[in-house]
This record gives sequence, structure tokens and C-alpha cells, in this order.
Amino acid sequence: MPVWQQVYEEINDPDFVILCVAEDTGGEAVAGPIFDAAKPTYIQIVDADHIISSAFNFVNVPSAAWIDEEGRIVRIDEGTYAKIHELGNEEQSIKFGNDVYTPALRDWVEKGAESEFVQSVETVTGNIRELSFDQQKADAAFRLANLFREHGLTEQAEEYWNLTQTLNPESINFFRQNLTLSAEGSAGQSFMERRGEYESQKKDYYRPLDMDS
Amino acid sequence: MAAAFMAYPELRHPFEAKPIHAEGSASVLYQGRQITLSETGSGPGLLINPADLKRINGFELKPEGACYADMCIPLNSKLLTTQDGQQWFDLTAFADLLEQPYVFDQASNVWSFAEIPAKRDNMMVNGLAPDFEIPDRQGNVIRMTDLKGKKALIVTWSSW
Repeated sequence: MPVWQQVYEEINDPDFVILCVAEDTGGEAVAGPIFDAAKPTYIQIVDADHIISSAFNFVNVPSAAWIDEEGRIVRIDEGTYAKIHELGNEEQSIKFGNDVYTPALRDWVEKGAESEFVQSVETVTGNIRELSFDQQKADAAFRLANLFREHGLTEQAEEYWNLTQTLNPESINFFRQNLTLSAEGSAGQSFMERRGEYESQKKDYYRPLDMDS
Repeated sequence: MAAAFMAYPELRHPFEAKPIHAEGSASVLYQGRQITLSETGSGPGLLINPADLKRINGFELKPEGACYADMCIPLNSKLLTTQDGQQWFDLTAFADLLEQPYVFDQASNVWSFAEIPAKRDNMMVNGLAPDFEIPDRQGNVIRMTDLKGKKALIVTWSSW
């Protein structure tokens, strides 16, 4: 999250806010230290129940929405990286992200509706994911699982985590959040296999970033 | 490929067994809140004291129906019933009418409700930001409506 703090400081506009939302059932215990390390001055939310993701129909992290002064969404649901990140050493490095998102964001904050990056209502509503009844029901199952987990009822939690994923198999958020409770963790073999499926089937892991790079 | 990363694996099972609510109570989960009901009516669905409706989902009973913002759902004998002289509001019949999904765990008597689709029409149809209400890390309640007059980037991330 230091990268968003840097973006926030660079834009430095009193009429621009960042809500940085940790989608994490582990809560403050796991998300708090990462926030603190960034010394953030933006709004920080730890969203154990994934309320914000479900409000905007996001199914993966990082995802974002741009909201204008009138409460209109002007961009939504893109894989949202503020820069090109590089993890690991030279022999085993992984690069992800892009260098176009932050300049586009800055352009919008400066120019508002005149920015070329502002999308029409039709484009925005077309980019909002449609969720079926069962996919919406998954939110209810997920929160029930979280309640059981918070109360130490792990078997019941597991039952409703599983129901959650049956109801909304498209959600990477639910899939990986559940894996955090497994021995292999959220980035182990199951995740790599799932990620591989996206690549082999040429499915979008994120909605493509509709910006020229 | 570098080994992927999950922060703080040791902190992900920190919870001890404790009761969800007092014996004989029911709980409703809605939008990240747990609302405990000390009294409910008997029957297959969830019958609540009409006075509890507002603290659950913001709807209020008015002469024209169950109302939230500029939306009013007319009441009928299915939504508002009487048992032994006491009036009950059938929250599950209301959810069915509004096509609001829910999940019920009978053993614990917890009803978990997803969002009411009609509350989201403004986003799905008009591209307006959805209402939400969530505390920040400092304990301030953040609502979408509080951000009016500012441009906002809402961005999600995770430690996993």
C-alpha cells in the first residue's frame, strides 16, 4: 500500500480521496501492519466481510472504481496496479502491473469530466459485472462462514465457505480468501492451478485495463 | 516464477469458541452487521417484531408500506401477520418478494441476507455509486454519501 500513499501524496488535491480497502477476513491482525507500514494518510478500511467488493460487484483484488463529485462512477472494475511491480530476485522474478494507470488517474483528478479517461454511463454500466441470484447469495453464505469462524466454529465455517464457492465460482476473492485457512495458503498449489486455468483458457483474470500503454 | 506470498499465516486462526448470541435469540446478518433479535415469531420463515425492521435493513413501516428512501413496498397479510395477538413482520417473505437472497443456518438460528437488489438499481442502471456504510481503521463510519463533492478512488487489496 505504500504505492497508493505515494500516488496520494503526488496528486495532493484536497478534493481527491483514496479509500484503500483490505478485503481480508483475517481483519486488522493481518491487514493492519501492512497499512501501518505505508504510513497512510488516505482512508483505510479493513473489510473482513468483503462489503466493498460486493457493493461494486468486484470478484478479484486489486480492483477499483473512480467516483466523481456527484457520485457517478466514471471507471470501474479494472485490475488496478499503480505501477509495475517486480517480486523476487533476478533469476526468479515476476513482473506485474502497468505504468499507465496512475497518469490516467492524475489526469482525471486534474481535468474531471474533460479527462479522456472518463467513461460514459453506457460504458460504465456495461463494465459492471452482472451477478446471478446465486452469485449474490454467495455474499450471504460468505458472511455466515465468517461469523462462524469468528466464533471458533471452524466446521460450520468450512461448510459455508464451500457453499459460497459453489454459489459464486467466478469469485477469485472467495476462492483465495478460503485458501488462507488451508495449510497451503492462498498462493499455493491450488491457486497456481486455478491461475493456470485462466491462462490456458485465455480467460481474463482481471477485466482488461482499457487504457493505451 | 517466484514463490507467491501470503502475509501472517500464523494470525489467521486467532479465534476462540464463543456463543453467537444469547440462548433463544436469533441473529440477522446484513451488510457486515450482526443484529440480534431477542424475540421472533414461530413458523418456517423469519418473523420479526416490526419495530426491529429499521435497525435491520433501514426500511420503515408507514401507511403506504415498508419504505426506504423513495421506495415503498405495499404491505399485505403475508408480510404483516398476527400470532396470539402480536404483530410480526415476515422478513423472509419480504426478501422473497424483493428477490433478496438469504442463507439460514438452523442449528445456530442465524439468517444471513445479501443486499436488496432494488437498492442497487441506481448503480446497475444509472452508473451511480452504491451506498455503503463501513467503519475505517480509526472507527469513523464511512458512507458513500459523505464523499459527495470529492473525487474518490476506491481500491481493494488483500494480504493474501
